[in-house]
Amino acid sequence: MSELLLLARIAGRRVAFPALDVNSVVEIDALTPVPGAPAFVSGLAALRSRALTVIDSAKALELEQATTGLEAIVAEHDGHLYALQVEAVEDVAEALSEPQEVRGSLGSGWERAARGMVESAAGPVLLLDAAAIVAGPAHSVQRAA
Amino acid sequence: MDDLLSEFVAETREMLDALESEIVAWEQAPEDKARLDAIFRFVHTVKGNCGFFDLPRLAKLSHAAESALAEVRAGRRQPDTALVDAVLAVIDRIVAMVDVLEAGEDYPEGGDDALMAALEPSNDDGGEAAALRAQSATSGQASSTNRDGPRSIRLPVELLDRVMSGVSDMVLARNELARRLREYGVEPTIDGPFERLSAVLDDVRDGVTRMRMQRIEHLFNAFPRLVRDLSAELGKQVLIDVEGGEVELDREMVEMIRDPLTHIIRNAVDHGFETPAERIAASKREIGLLHISARQSGNRILIAISDDGRGIDTGRLADKAVASKVASPAEIAAMSETEKLALIFEPGISTAAAVTSISGRGVGMDVVRANIERVGGSIDVTSTPGKGTRILLSLPLTLSIIPALTIECCGQRYAIPRSYIEEIIHSRSGSAQLAQIGDAWLATIRGERIRCLTLAAVFGIDRQSSPKGATLILVRLAGGDFFALAVDRVLDHEELVIKPLAPAVMATGIYAGTSLLDDGSPVLMLDMAGIARKHDLISDVQRRVRRELPGLAQIASAEEGVPVLLFTGLDNRRRAVRLDVVNRVDKVEPTAVTLTDDGARIVLEDKVFPLAGVNRGAVPESRFPILRLSDGKGELAYAVQAIADSARIDGDISPAARAGEIEGIALVGGTPVEVLDCHWLFAREMRGSAALQPATCRFDGDDPWLDTILRPLAESAGYRVVSDDAQHADVVITTDSTASEAEGPDNRIRIVSDPDIAGQVAGTIYRYDRAGLLAALAQARMGRVA
Repeated sequence: MSELLLLARIAGRRVAFPALDVNSVVEIDALTPVPGAPAFVSGLAALRSRALTVIDSAKALELEQATTGLEAIVAEHDGHLYALQVEAVEDVAEALSEPQEVRGSLGSGWERAARGMVESAAGPVLLLDAAAIVAGPAHSVQRAA
Repeated sequence: MDDLLSEFVAETREMLDALESEIVAWEQAPEDKARLDAIFRFVHTVKGNCGFFDLPRLAKLSHAAESALAEVRAGRRQPDTALVDAVLAVIDRIVAMVDVLEAGEDYPEGGDDALMAALEPSNDDGGEAAALRAQSATSGQASSTNRDGPRSIRLPVELLDRVMSGVSDMVLARNELARRLREYGVEPTIDGPFERLSAVLDDVRDGVTRMRMQRIEHLFNAFPRLVRDLSAELGKQVLIDVEGGEVELDREMVEMIRDPLTHIIRNAVDHGFETPAERIAASKREIGLLHISARQSGNRILIAISDDGRGIDTGRLADKAVASKVASPAEIAAMSETEKLALIFEPGISTAAAVTSISGRGVGMDVVRANIERVGGSIDVTSTPGKGTRILLSLPLTLSIIPALTIECCGQRYAIPRSYIEEIIHSRSGSAQLAQIGDAWLATIRGERIRCLTLAAVFGIDRQSSPKGATLILVRLAGGDFFALAVDRVLDHEELVIKPLAPAVMATGIYAGTSLLDDGSPVLMLDMAGIARKHDLISDVQRRVRRELPGLAQIASAEEGVPVLLFTGLDNRRRAVRLDVVNRVDKVEPTAVTLTDDGARIVLEDKVFPLAGVNRGAVPESRFPILRLSDGKGELAYAVQAIADSARIDGDISPAARAGEIEGIALVGGTPVEVLDCHWLFAREMRGSAALQPATCRFDGDDPWLDTILRPLAESAGYRVVSDDAQHADVVITTDSTASEAEGPDNRIRIVSDPDIAGQVAGTIYRYDRAGLLAALAQARMGRVA
């Protein structure tokens, strides 16, 4: 398998994003808060002349604590640019297997965003779907609708 | 030359350029199906386009060629050389005519018949057609040599967009550079060139913005055909009248409103208009009139679509809403006509009794509204049963650059579109008085009471925040409603390039978009209409809008007659009141009403007004609408069950037999309604009431608080403050420092500065117990009247 993965850490767990989904990796230094927005939206940031919607990946995955790191993964979804805040961006690695289903429960947030488990040189990692993270926790989607 | 015609010429030329090689190839191999199809498509398109313009010769020629080629395509005719020559001769003639058309001249008469005759199968004289072709080609050549006029090129919109966003980014970079230059104070030698660069850039941006503008005709021109086809299919007769096609709009905006407008027109033809038989039965002209107009107003474009059809059946809308669980029967019962009308924008509601192929396929007005609002527009619907419906769209001129005001709240910057801002008032300046009513704030600006929101509360950051000491932004919504928004500070005027926001942020309903400021940091653009909607600040009757838009033809505008507001009284009778005396329409709680022997009174925004209309039925148990009538000086309220609509009286008012609340009976839309006699109402309600002779009030004591703080309150409650001790005063107000309990307590209000005392000693009021003070003042005045 030659699919490239971007390895990152969210809430202490190693995760992977398909490198094709990732535009770039940035450091978020200045955040413009968005009052009234769901908790998983940290705010807005600027990337060159475009505005990024900054998403706290941990909160979007329905985890309790907020992401602390500065690094964020930039991904485009439906014409909007998003920056997914992660604890750390680790490496780029090759996927050594197709995504496989994981048996047993992962936790609802993880299950919604996971495409499956892939093998990499760094061991098994959970492959995440950036679009699912951007959509936020299920209940906030309902509220938005 | 006409814009559209030049587009037609450009398009025809473009097709011809592409066809050039096909023609040659077809000449070689007339049996080639693909080539034949290409040429058929060309003449077919030319024929179709000619239908839009008054070009009968071109239309005839292309039609003849099309028919001949259709025969060939159907296999009924062999493409012999005579035919090929004849078709090519026609194409050459089309080229020549188009050239002449572009030059703005007339093509010399004659010759068309010979060309068309050459297309006929009976004509086997190939030589003649060939000769015709040669002749036609030479004359075409001759005319193309003196081809002049404005040269134009066609560009893909994506390219324009790229240039546009490049220019936008350049403006941002320029602003950033300007800021740095200011900060570091560079040499004056740099200033000159920088200024020049800056001016050129502004010019370029202007040009690019104009490049994206398109006449709305481009959109409107398709509608006559659409209406014709639809009405033919549905067995209706509809005449379309389009006005204001010269209004220019951003290209992208034109595309964005194409579908919503088409949907509205489909709806109008399908559901709005009756069949000719029904129209005659309703004594209307059998041909329905659909009027579409566009008008620019400031930096908004207003598009009105009105029909003189049957109007929207709000009763059926309400039933649908109940059936599809959009609203409960109780909610429906409490709704005014206008609110019921607004149900049409709720998802899953369509007025069509049956699903037809034209409309009523589930995509309804909710989608239309969502699309209009997505581009920063708004949509309003008004309808008179039996008379017609009018839909008004208000759209921003362009999608991208919006003049805005940046403000600060809670340490963050936000932007407000300048088009919404009526005025900026510093609350400390004294031109606005603030008062807290329950949890809400009211600002009194030049005598008008306006709801005041604090931005911190809108954001949910600080729900208890007070607008005192803040800067008030007086916001005027598209519907004509006002509200004041309290912000910490006003920063600057800026032209912002607005970009869309992610759905999760849009879902808050507070923001309209985002932009980057000079320093590259993002700023959120507030959605004023969204904020107002969230806080229920949009009134039901959009009377002011209608008054301010006389240019937009109304359904009833052509008719003469006194404008009136139709409503249903508490006794369920339909009545009308002259629109001129209606100051505004409010909704009130039943608790605001006091019934006395002398008639009913109502407390509105701290003032007591006479309330008419309640003697004909019990006061409703839930919030109900009132009409606020004014004779220029005094004001009175009239309780009603529901507001229907505004209309005009047909003909005269036949006077009532005896003087009373009803002036007489008039016909509105063919049905009789009672018209209120406003003179009688005012004469009765104002008799001996406080409004006729203001009650007087005297402050006992020299506490400066009385004069500075209490006086405006007493005055707003309808009292005249007298200072002379000897003068009679209807009410005397004392503070605890001048307490003298010996005097008669009947007309005395005692004010204490300690809330605990107010609670313990009867007949005293805490000085900041506003409601209590007002009640006491109102009661004292009532006592005087009785």
